Amino acid sequence: MIKIHVDMEKCQHYGQCVFEAPEIFKLNDQDKLEYLATADDSERANIQAAADVCPMQAITIVE
Amino acid sequence: MGGLRTAESLRRSGFDGEITLIGAESHPPYNRPPLSKELLSNDKDLSAVAFPIKEGELRAQLLLGEVATSLTLSNREVTLASGESIPFDYLVAATGLRSRQMTFPNDLRSGRFSLRTFDDAKRLRKVATPGTPVVILGAGFIGLELAATLRRLGCSVDVVAIESTPLAPILGEEFGAEVQRRHEAEGVRFHLQQTVQDLIGDERIEGVRLNSGETIECSVFIEAVGSIPNTEWLAGNELDLSNGVLTDQSLRGMCEDGTSVDDLFVVGDIARFPYAQHPLPARRIEHWNIPIESAKRVGREISHHSAPGSVADFVMGEHFNPLPSFWSDQFAMSILSYGEPKLADEVTLLEGDLANEFVFGYRRNGDLVGVAGVGMRREVNKFRGEIRL
Repeated sequence: MIKIHVDMEKCQHYGQCVFEAPEIFKLNDQDKLEYLATADDSERANIQAAADVCPMQAITIVE
Repeated sequence: MGGLRTAESLRRSGFDGEITLIGAESHPPYNRPPLSKELLSNDKDLSAVAFPIKEGELRAQLLLGEVATSLTLSNREVTLASGESIPFDYLVAATGLRSRQMTFPNDLRSGRFSLRTFDDAKRLRKVATPGTPVVILGAGFIGLELAATLRRLGCSVDVVAIESTPLAPILGEEFGAEVQRRHEAEGVRFHLQQTVQDLIGDERIEGVRLNSGETIECSVFIEAVGSIPNTEWLAGNELDLSNGVLTDQSLRGMCEDGTSVDDLFVVGDIARFPYAQHPLPARRIEHWNIPIESAKRVGREISHHSAPGSVADFVMGEHFNPLPSFWSDQFAMSILSYGEPKLADEVTLLEGDLANEFVFGYRRNGDLVGVAGVGMRREVNKFRGEIRL
């Protein structure tokens, strides 16, 4: 399992992560980010890609 | 960022050779977009924007504050300002852009600013105090973001720009006019279809004179008039350096005679790469996600070259065709866009209304080439997959 942390002070809800890891991240009805705090190791590459494309660099994978 | 992301991509795709990252700035790689926004309004240091580096995974040598001054492709060697030469099997050029600087008859330096680097932002932050009169030349994204941030900090802000409507060349007349209206409602003054003809002052800037003859007093003058690719160090190798570095569809550098170079790849906003689906000349794209996308591709490509067949899903020769994405925050306005709206021959309001939140679609020969909106994130994101470039 991997743990995901999003710094919600930094997050501006651009939703770029949603395209890289749709199983983990989504924008809700109010255009705000929602995400799963843990994920299977098979999602690691997608979550890493989501962290890379986050304009605010708000996503970290907690090892 | 492009260099760091390339190194990460190399390691993730199994590359086992030595990696050297050479950076002209003395700072480790950092994220630039906050420079025009939160970094100006908060007293944050570099750690707030530096990219995390996992040294154990990256296994790269970082040479910071070292400027590459020349390349001898035939010897596979880069020379640094210090005189040191560094040999390579593969070279990735990711030297980015620098701010364009104007030249004036009274070419004063003191009181003059631009914004590209962390040091630029630190310098500007010191003078961005309430009541300071600021003139910004240029009404592109950097100019407008600076206008909004400095206005919020209490500065008096005048924007001078050559276009008749801010952002109109990029996002169209209606979009730009609405952006202008919202800036004016916050107290930003625009001087459009104007340029700065000269600076006024003896030792430091006291104002600017426009081509109309009008003068504006200011103690801070910011040039936000675009960027120049840092490619001078690549000269003398027969590369096509007419605007950035021309590349083929795999981001390999191309020579003036139209041949590709096997051991030189180009990453980020200096890469002038061809369209996959439009019969248009190759172009550079100065959006934040291009270094990321091109780095990912080049890292995988080099890994594949050094150990053919080792990189999962890698298709040799596949056309590099990233979807440009950009965003901009100005006052309460949050702009999000995909594609290349400026290619459009037809602009239509897709959703919303101009007074509130809205989404425009940009078409060329009937194909959607871009989408851009204020707010309405999910609506903008919905059209993302329909864009053809």
